[in-house]
Amino acid sequence: MTARGDRRLAWVLLAPALSVLAVVTVYPIVRVIALSLERRVPIFGIADFVGLANYAFLARDGAFWGAMRVTALFTVVSVAAELVLGVAAAVALRAQRRGVAISLSLLLLPWCLPGVVTGRIFEWIYHPSAGLMNRLVAVVVASAQPNWLGDPRLALPAVIAADVWRTTPFIALLVYARLVGVPAAVYEAAAVDGAGRGATFWRITLPLLRPVLLVALLFRTLDAVRAFDLMFILTGGGPAGVTETLTLYAYRSLFQTLQLGFGSASAVVVGALVVALAWGHLAATGERDAV
Amino acid sequence: MRSSGLADALVLGGVTLYATPVVWQLATSLTASGDPADVMAGLSLAHYRAVLGASPMPRALANSVGIAAAVTLLAAALAAPAAYALARLPVAGRRLLLVGIVLSTALPTVATVAPLYLIVRALGLRDTWLAVILADTSFALPLSIWLVVGFIREIPRELEEAAAVDGAGRLAALRHVLLPVLAPGLAAASLLTFLFAWNEFLLAYTFTATEASRTAPVALALFPGVFETPWGDIAAASMLASLPPVLVVLALRRHLVRGLLAGSLKE
Amino acid sequence: MTARRAWIVVVLAALAVAGCAERRADEVRLVFRHSRMPGERDPLPALLRDFERRHPGIVVAHEPLPWTADVQHQFYVINLEGRSAGFDVLMLDVIWTAEFARAGWLLDVTDRWPAAERGEHFPSMVEAATLGDRLWAVPWVMNVGLLYFRADLLGRQGLAPPTSYAALAEQAAAVMRAAGEPRLAGFLWQGKQYEGLVVNVLEAMWGEGTDLVGRDGRLLPEPARAAAALARRRALLTRGISPPLVTAADEELTRREFGAGRGVFLRNWPYARALFEAGGSPVAGRVGVAALPGGGALGGAHLAIHAGTRHPDAAWALVRHLASPDAQRAIADAVGLHPTRPALVDDAALRAIFAGARPRPVTPWYQTLSATLQPELSAAILGLKPAGQALADAERRLAYFLRP
Repeated sequence: MTARGDRRLAWVLLAPALSVLAVVTVYPIVRVIALSLERRVPIFGIADFVGLANYAFLARDGAFWGAMRVTALFTVVSVAAELVLGVAAAVALRAQRRGVAISLSLLLLPWCLPGVVTGRIFEWIYHPSAGLMNRLVAVVVASAQPNWLGDPRLALPAVIAADVWRTTPFIALLVYARLVGVPAAVYEAAAVDGAGRGATFWRITLPLLRPVLLVALLFRTLDAVRAFDLMFILTGGGPAGVTETLTLYAYRSLFQTLQLGFGSASAVVVGALVVALAWGHLAATGERDAV
Repeated sequence: MRSSGLADALVLGGVTLYATPVVWQLATSLTASGDPADVMAGLSLAHYRAVLGASPMPRALANSVGIAAAVTLLAAALAAPAAYALARLPVAGRRLLLVGIVLSTALPTVATVAPLYLIVRALGLRDTWLAVILADTSFALPLSIWLVVGFIREIPRELEEAAAVDGAGRLAALRHVLLPVLAPGLAAASLLTFLFAWNEFLLAYTFTATEASRTAPVALALFPGVFETPWGDIAAASMLASLPPVLVVLALRRHLVRGLLAGSLKE
Repeated sequence: MTARRAWIVVVLAALAVAGCAERRADEVRLVFRHSRMPGERDPLPALLRDFERRHPGIVVAHEPLPWTADVQHQFYVINLEGRSAGFDVLMLDVIWTAEFARAGWLLDVTDRWPAAERGEHFPSMVEAATLGDRLWAVPWVMNVGLLYFRADLLGRQGLAPPTSYAALAEQAAAVMRAAGEPRLAGFLWQGKQYEGLVVNVLEAMWGEGTDLVGRDGRLLPEPARAAAALARRRALLTRGISPPLVTAADEELTRREFGAGRGVFLRNWPYARALFEAGGSPVAGRVGVAALPGGGALGGAHLAIHAGTRHPDAAWALVRHLASPDAQRAIADAVGLHPTRPALVDDAALRAIFAGARPRPVTPWYQTLSATLQPELSAAILGLKPAGQALADAERRLAYFLRP
């Protein structure tokens, strides 16, 4: 158990993981940056160095900034809705005495489904004639048949709703686990002090939840900025790019227009944005030191 | 007691209502016509028979099981020792390594899909399990390492040091003291890795060309319909593609909570 | 005596077996990949067995491709980039031929294919197989955009099929007014954000007398006229001549609307014709077919040979056999996929329409072109952007992607 023996042991234990990481994670990160400086079309064998031209074009591209706007809107609305609904669900679960296990299991169902499955479920629900949404709408307004995924005003809200449905359980579970750890004595003391339900929630519960909510905020923000599967299946970024997030924009540039170099530039921007968000959160919560 | 019963019923009712989309899809898969409203008329397994008998789904499900299992095992085998080293042993540049690992878990898959595509192409791995396994590992491994480091850190050093005082070597301390305590954490990390690998779509979609390597999510996304969209069959395929992750999550529910809380609360 | 006879038998048997083995070594095995044939009757097995009979020593295995066009394209790209693709003859959508030729995946067939035989096919199909004055594939089955119309409704107004999109809009409006039926759509076409939208807008531009790509290969040679064509499509929606569902509609959705009697005009491919005339169809006997103003877009498939094939001559023989007049007729009879030879189209009016088919821009960059145009065209159709701006934005992106 010598210090030098420890150091050697450490590298022996680390070596396999680090070598794999070097190949499948680090090398691609370096390579994608290099690719973003090229004009590259693999099937035609085109590979020319163009410096920052791709980035310059991105800066001028209306579609790129549109994707940026869509991503921002999607992220802010989704995460806000999920946090509110998640906390509400967790508080409700906490009030449940029996059958909590069943509730938790049911609640977890949407979260563990593959994104593609959720996409197909909501594609069917949003179907203009046979879908659940429009059958419910028809009960209220007989002749209305909104085209949820085809109307540019409705498509993004429809996608957001599907995403909120899918990810609220994650936040609910996270918050619930934290709430369970709060000793009953805390609430009893509050009741003794004459605090009503609302005051208890705002003054005691919420502050206790702050660390968990910050974690949830980080995870969900990163996930929302990275979201791909759901909108790819539901709308493919359409109609007319109103649901095209940065990830879809990058994917389209990479594989549908065959511009691997330009696509890599947009991929680098998305990646850098996400990493910056993660870094910012680490720094803000002081966890960088704890890492 | 009565008000508590009402609260229970309301919450349970609310949660059930929340699961309506899944129920709707389930109903669609069980009616002969593909219209959930007909479920009152009688259930039918026709769509499941069609999907299991004459669609790419069975093959895709098998591919998914194999690939997700391989990624989970690979990530666990590589991450556990690495995490132990990072958490317990002196490593030069440890903080830098950990920060790098944590940040790489934040990367979107679209960021590295292009170079991974070129690698797969160069190695002639197109349309193989290995391509998807490698690509998935690029994200599963950092995630696993980060999670397990968090779990190990929760375990007080004193535990192993006490074992050392009792005369046990480091290896024995690991096996008999650390590992049992770490087991639930490892289970949680493996669960999350399995979920990630099973649900992963973008990389699998890009690297697979035929049923030989296509995973369940990709097969579901590309579910064949000549003219009309076969909503009933798609619903059945959706249910089948969801079964493994749902079963795994339900079975390991408790570990899931630990996993979700990992590395987050420094208390 | 018996022993010697036994020996002779053994030796003869050994020679026979050796002879068999030799023949197996000489046997050429070709692999042919193609789309699944729609419908029940698959004509391919019979055609391939016929080929094997005429060419002893060649065996053909055929494997279907994934269902959808995008997935087929991805399949080909992934497999053709390697040295050994695992197949010799492939069926290509006409819009992929130039791209695959430029990528070096196809065998040059210019010298194998006599000019006289080339002339037997519709020129547009041959043009779509041409890149750099060389030929890379052989026409196999053909599609062209058609204008379907309700002959009975037009007849009631005393109208003949329109020869311009402006006239089409006016006729549709007139019929809608006369019918007074709220769910009757004037003109159904494909406006969803996908390849079909590019096809429809191309046809709109041709109807306006302009094109997306000029003769010299320049993009949008007449931007103003192109914008006018696109704006005219948008106007169909604002005037109510086309219902809102069109903006999210593909071929099948519009075909079903028209087939249920809810449309006056429909733009679609020839496959719909048989469905409209099928038993139980509400519009049977009331549907007429005409040429689209300015010409319909060319669709269909080519047969090509993988550049890395080990049996180019055998593969060429297979291609010629499958594209022969008899084979094309057999395919047309079995599954309704139209032949590419004027001589095989009996209906003179239909022959004229097919002869007027115009290929989409024949360029290796068609994927890039289409993928870049689709969201811009969709934005214009939905009224999110003026037509001129949408085309200008698309042009700016394409200029960047396609710069030499």
